[in-house]
Amino acid sequence: MTDTSNNQASTDQKLKEAYFTASQGQLIWQRFKKNKSALFGAWVLIILILSGIFAPFLTPYDATISGRDKDYLNGAPQIPSFCDDNGCSLRPFIYSSERTRSIETSFRWVTIVNTELEGRRYLEFFVEGSEYTYLSFDINLPGEALDFRIPGFTFNTHLFGVDKGMIHIFGTDSTGKDIYSRTLTAINTSMAVGTIGVFIAFIMALVIGGISGYYGGFLDSSLQMITDTVRTIPSIPLFMALAAFIPDVWSAETRFLFISMVLGLIGWPTLARRIRTHLLTERSQEYVLAAQLCGASSSHVIRRHLLPSFTSYIIVDLVISFPYMVLSETALSFIGLGLKDPVNSLGVMLQNVTSADVLLNYQWYFIPVIFFITLVLAFVFVGDGLRDAADPYSDSHK
Amino acid sequence: MLQFSKFVAIRASLAILTLILVSFIVFTLMELVPGDCAERYVAFKNSQGAVISIADIEAERIRLGLNKPYVQRWGVWIINAFQGEFGDSCILRLNISQLLGQKFWLSLGLCLTSLMVAYIIAIPVGIISATSNNRVLNNSLRLVSYLGLALPNFLLALMVMLFSTVMFGDSLTGLFSKEFRDAEWSYERVMDFLGHAWLPIFILGWSATAFAIQTVRALMSDEIGKLYVTAAEARGVSGRRLLMRYPARHALSPIINSLGFDLNRIFNELPIVALILTLTEAGSLLIEALARSNDQQLAGAIIFMLTGSIVAINFLTDIILALTDPRVRRSIVG
Repeated sequence: MTDTSNNQASTDQKLKEAYFTASQGQLIWQRFKKNKSALFGAWVLIILILSGIFAPFLTPYDATISGRDKDYLNGAPQIPSFCDDNGCSLRPFIYSSERTRSIETSFRWVTIVNTELEGRRYLEFFVEGSEYTYLSFDINLPGEALDFRIPGFTFNTHLFGVDKGMIHIFGTDSTGKDIYSRTLTAINTSMAVGTIGVFIAFIMALVIGGISGYYGGFLDSSLQMITDTVRTIPSIPLFMALAAFIPDVWSAETRFLFISMVLGLIGWPTLARRIRTHLLTERSQEYVLAAQLCGASSSHVIRRHLLPSFTSYIIVDLVISFPYMVLSETALSFIGLGLKDPVNSLGVMLQNVTSADVLLNYQWYFIPVIFFITLVLAFVFVGDGLRDAADPYSDSHK
Repeated sequence: MLQFSKFVAIRASLAILTLILVSFIVFTLMELVPGDCAERYVAFKNSQGAVISIADIEAERIRLGLNKPYVQRWGVWIINAFQGEFGDSCILRLNISQLLGQKFWLSLGLCLTSLMVAYIIAIPVGIISATSNNRVLNNSLRLVSYLGLALPNFLLALMVMLFSTVMFGDSLTGLFSKEFRDAEWSYERVMDFLGHAWLPIFILGWSATAFAIQTVRALMSDEIGKLYVTAAEARGVSGRRLLMRYPARHALSPIINSLGFDLNRIFNELPIVALILTLTEAGSLLIEALARSNDQQLAGAIIFMLTGSIVAINFLTDIILALTDPRVRRSIVG
């Protein structure tokens, strides 16, 4: 009897010790785990990011024009099924289809679906298909001798495919590109744009907010003036103005880099303001004074004392600002000022959907939207959960 | 009174300073666009069959004053801009104020109405969700506001169009019916306009409402826990009277303060929503100017006017706050 209560007390003691000696990261993680919706969002986010990274394996075809199916333009999604009028099969199958034009169709191109037994295409797993590479870099420095190439790893296995012809589970667009393959690749693009944008915005915010918060005074007022002005200009019109400078001759990859940079260059003011406010309150604390009296330089105080005091806030802010970068890119690409083919992104995929033809006849063009709303929602949930978890007083609020 | 007029003067000069900075940014952007107005004019003449030379372009530059130094041109531009005069559009070769005139006010009206609708919905809903302990209500409101963040307005517009095309066979686009497009303002035209305008207002207000609900909710739950509310409760004030007289009044001033930035957010979405819903107002002109024709004069004018109205709203809200709250008056004047 006493033994169990002793045990109880010692585990309690251990729990308490664990709580008091836990690092900030551990504490945040503890609180974050309790938040079910945020945890769920985190799982969804991880799955989406992984499916973006492994998109070449998970999707049957290349997302660019080289993976097009010229026999199935504007094709409806093909859902594999097990049974039809000709009986059932253990292997799921889809029907093959053909584009023909003859006197019966008034010489218009018409897609005819072959529902006979021989028209079946059976689903297969781990099929060989188009090649894709990971970790392959081409580095082009000025001078012949400095060019070098890391070949990386080349694979050609895809998760699924069909025995003959092609399968398009989300349908195809007007050029016959597989929408499913494009969607997963687009997740990658969005993540890359977001990462570069957030990174640039973060560096600028850190420098500008840091200087203005740490030194204060006249420097602070003038920097704040500039920050406020940039914040006043509506950002998407500003994006549009900046993106309009891109010469037509730039390659899709250069465009991509430029757009991500522009997103970062405009996204910094909010974060900068927050860093400044935090520094302003922190710099008058005793530990900063103590460090200064010990003769620490400004940069030392900022790096070793001030920055660690709000790392968690910065991380949370970065996660929260991520979806805005992604959405801005989408909006920009959508109106044709952002990314362009062959770089895939949701905005690029949605470029032509406002026509009545698409709205009435090809609604599967909108399938990628579901993925993106999920991606952004997951980010918002995780960001919100992290914000609550990083706030040491969040428990006392409730 | 003296303190108040001092406050207004300081705020007004700050607003003008901001506008001048904005104009500098906008003007620099316009300068960075490849090519200039003179080239565009002359290119147009060329397309009409006239034979042109480098000398013609130079002459055109001199005529437009483009050969003057950068700062001087900026000065001229800003002085004209404050008088509402933005010169001629490079491509359309029309006076910009004439071109924009009504369209800009229409856009501003749309945005301000959306903002108003957003707060008319958000204030009661936010207060209810901050005070009620109903889990289902709170969680569903939370989901709605998350959706407001995750579903940007232009995707919402696309979805509405998709839905209405499939269900009603009409895509609900445009601001006027065909017969009223170029008509004079009349009772019928106003009614026709209102019949079309509800959709853009709803779409523009969508994420603004989500944001506003979150803000109101957060502010209210912060204020409700404070001691003065408990004290008022102890004095016997309760129910709606308690909420309206104490915490709601305190929560209001940060909201008024952020109106300008809410308007900014709505302006952000305006061009793209305008493109999707084929509205014929300033937003779509902006896209036209930037994406299609590189018309820097027109684009600059629109961005400047949008920003100008945000600065004006910020100024107005500050004045309103200063009128209602003596602490704000003292904060700047010192």
